[in-house]
Amino acid sequence: MNIENTQSQMRKGILEFCILSIIRRGEAYPSDIVDEMRAANLQILEGTLYPLLTRLKNAEMLTYRWVESNSGPPRKYFSLTPKGEEFFKELETTWNELANAVNKLASKRESLASSANNNNSTTEQPTETTQPNN
Amino acid sequence: MKKVININFQGRVIPIEETAYDILKQYVESLRRYFANEEGRDEIINDIEGRIAELFSERLKKGAVCITDEDVQAIMASMGRPEDFEAEAAETVSAASGVGGSATGQQQQSSSQQSQSTGTGTSYNTGATRRLVRNADDKIIAGVCSGLANYMRIDPVIMRILFVVLFFTGGSGFLVYLILWVAVPSQSVQSNITKRLYRSSDDKVIAGVCGGLAAYFNISTWVPRLIFALPLIIGLFSGPFNWFWGGDMGFWVGPRIVTGSLGSTLFVTYIILWIAVPIAVTAAEKLEMRGERVDLNTIRDAVKGDLESFKSKAQNWGSEVKQSAQQFGDRARQFSQSEHVKTFTTEASATARSAGSGIAHIIGVLFKAFFLFIIGMIALVLFGVLMAVLFGGPPMMAMKEFFIGGLWQNLLVGLTVFLCLGVPIIAMITWLIRRIMGVRSRNHYLGYVFGGLWFIGIISAALLAGSLSQDFKARNLLEEQVPLTQPSTGKLYVDVASDNINTRYYSSDWFYDWDGDWPIFGANMDSMLLNTVRIDVKKSNDNNFHLDKIRFSRGNDPFYARSLAEKINFQPVQNDSLLLLPKRFAISRNEKFRMQQVLLVLQVPVGKRFYLNRSISTYNWFDIRYNHHGGIDIDDSWEHTYWVETGREYVMTPDGPKQVSKLDPEALKRGEYKEKEKNEDNDEGDGDNQQKQSAPAAPSAPHAPNSRKHKDSTNDGKYHYHRDQKNDTTKVNNI
Repeated sequence: MNIENTQSQMRKGILEFCILSIIRRGEAYPSDIVDEMRAANLQILEGTLYPLLTRLKNAEMLTYRWVESNSGPPRKYFSLTPKGEEFFKELETTWNELANAVNKLASKRESLASSANNNNSTTEQPTETTQPNN
Repeated sequence: MKKVININFQGRVIPIEETAYDILKQYVESLRRYFANEEGRDEIINDIEGRIAELFSERLKKGAVCITDEDVQAIMASMGRPEDFEAEAAETVSAASGVGGSATGQQQQSSSQQSQSTGTGTSYNTGATRRLVRNADDKIIAGVCSGLANYMRIDPVIMRILFVVLFFTGGSGFLVYLILWVAVPSQSVQSNITKRLYRSSDDKVIAGVCGGLAAYFNISTWVPRLIFALPLIIGLFSGPFNWFWGGDMGFWVGPRIVTGSLGSTLFVTYIILWIAVPIAVTAAEKLEMRGERVDLNTIRDAVKGDLESFKSKAQNWGSEVKQSAQQFGDRARQFSQSEHVKTFTTEASATARSAGSGIAHIIGVLFKAFFLFIIGMIALVLFGVLMAVLFGGPPMMAMKEFFIGGLWQNLLVGLTVFLCLGVPIIAMITWLIRRIMGVRSRNHYLGYVFGGLWFIGIISAALLAGSLSQDFKARNLLEEQVPLTQPSTGKLYVDVASDNINTRYYSSDWFYDWDGDWPIFGANMDSMLLNTVRIDVKKSNDNNFHLDKIRFSRGNDPFYARSLAEKINFQPVQNDSLLLLPKRFAISRNEKFRMQQVLLVLQVPVGKRFYLNRSISTYNWFDIRYNHHGGIDIDDSWEHTYWVETGREYVMTPDGPKQVSKLDPEALKRGEYKEKEKNEDNDEGDGDNQQKQSAPAAPSAPHAPNSRKHKDSTNDGKYHYHRDQKNDTTKVNNI
């Protein structure tokens, strides 16, 4: 079990959500997205971003238009489709639930003393409680 | 000091250092390779290239004269190398390709879960969630073998060879394959390790086949070498032994199979592999040969490895990398093209499934399987014919001499056998090897060569058939009377002389003659034995037995046919009442086989008896076409011949031969008449027969005078006598 692998696993899940939330605010150019993510201290390689964008575009979540640029070839500016909007909203609720659950778990400090053995069951219980919220 | 070149990159002219250009090219190719299975591959590459071009432009705007190595490195660091973002994106890549583009939002979500089971990083490490699927990415027919191999964590090639062997030994592999095809779902299970069979350019003795095989199966090179060389060694070793044992057929079998058929098989295999498998020249190919992942690092390592061994080539580094990168790009492009073709079937089956009718899918599968089955059967038949030619070789070659005359026909035979039979088999094996081992065909002319050779083979077969039919065109006959002394008993026994030929002939069992239908009794290099002999019985015009011998032959003209017929040596030998016929007649290789036949017409006078021994039926009877137009009309002389059974005693009556056992014994005994009704008619003619006939019957008469059974036994009397003698001798031998 190496830490980097786990970290990248964690990052991976939220990548699409992050990208969509950036684009949702308005048309975005890939390198802007990267910059913004880096500014938010979320490391991402452009080589990872392009395939993701293409995939989202192919899944009709995103659409783009060409914008002439004076510093190179024309740029692709991405924007959200209604379908993407829907998709984003679903992801958002999921994220909120998840964040809540994770935060709750991560910040919980008092009750662990009772039984170290029940670690597994305690991690499962919150996910069960989140489901009724759906 | 560095050379600067201008490149057209995304529609911009960009001055770039040559080394930087090489790095950039490598980088783009590595991306192309990495996204090879991604649906929007070209678009992604294009986007990335666009971005790179933009960064270049920015750099040039800031006052840089050209793009340097460092610039490219910096850009690569920002974009990320395939190796870097592999860990981040690998699973999403596979997920997307697994869904195959039909991904809606929901499916995309679920596919990211699926991706757990279809992870790509390394091919076989998918762990606990491993499922049996047909591999949609690495398939030859339906991906069954590949999927099974992935499931069992072995090399797909081993599984494929196993299935091919199963198919050719009973066809059970076919059924299993079919069931799995229908039952197991197709899914994308990619493996980055693509191993291909190449001939090794570094590790070679003759053509590098053994080296390539060793690399492919990950074994030491000496193993395949020993296997290929073994028959030769054993052959050298066992040669003296064979000599010592005098080359007896029985002893040959063991070493012969190893040195003979297996040896030649391996030799042919080597040659075929030589033809079918390309040699690994570039670094990328060498890596593929060893089954290592082809990416920039490994290529660089391989190239460096080469450099260490060939230090003098140091300056070629750049060009070699360039070359391998180009190769690499070509292949990636080829791959994408073939992918489009391949996806047709996948899509077809996918739509069938999505339409909710699994039946359509199954029908489709069955149809395809049926098609493959037919192809397989044709291949199998061809294979069988070749085997027959190979193993029946010596007698076949002996046979050939009797059919084929002249250089022209010999040439045609050679062409027919090797081109008509050999070429399709070699082509088939080549194709199989290429498919199974993942050999990439670099050129298509091999197919044209095979096709052309085969066509020549077909033409030569047709010419040969025409030429041969010319040789069989005319037919002629030669008629002569064989002088017979009249048997004292009035009964003629016809038997076949026992075999006294001690020359070793190839038994006809060497061919397909399991049931004795083959007219050729046996052959050796000098002569061929035929038993195309027929005996007809007809009524004699006088009171004597007569024997007519008619010899037939075919030839390219009637005169030649007649001269061939003259050369047939078939001499019946008479010993009072016993007429012994030769078992067969020989034709020498000078005369050739031209459908030589012998017809014996035995004329039996009315009232006389005759007996054809059962051994007569060992002759290969043939039909005479009495009214063969254009041929010989022998209608007149042989119109009244009768069908008689062998092993029965017959008596000739005015109506033709009658089986003695079926006649009324009373009438036969009482007088001269064969049948009651015919009494009056035959009075005179049968007068003197009575005495002769009563003589052999007399000894057994007292036992049972009037019964039919009795008659049978007396009829067989002579025969039994004859046979008893034989039995006695065998008894003596046994004691």
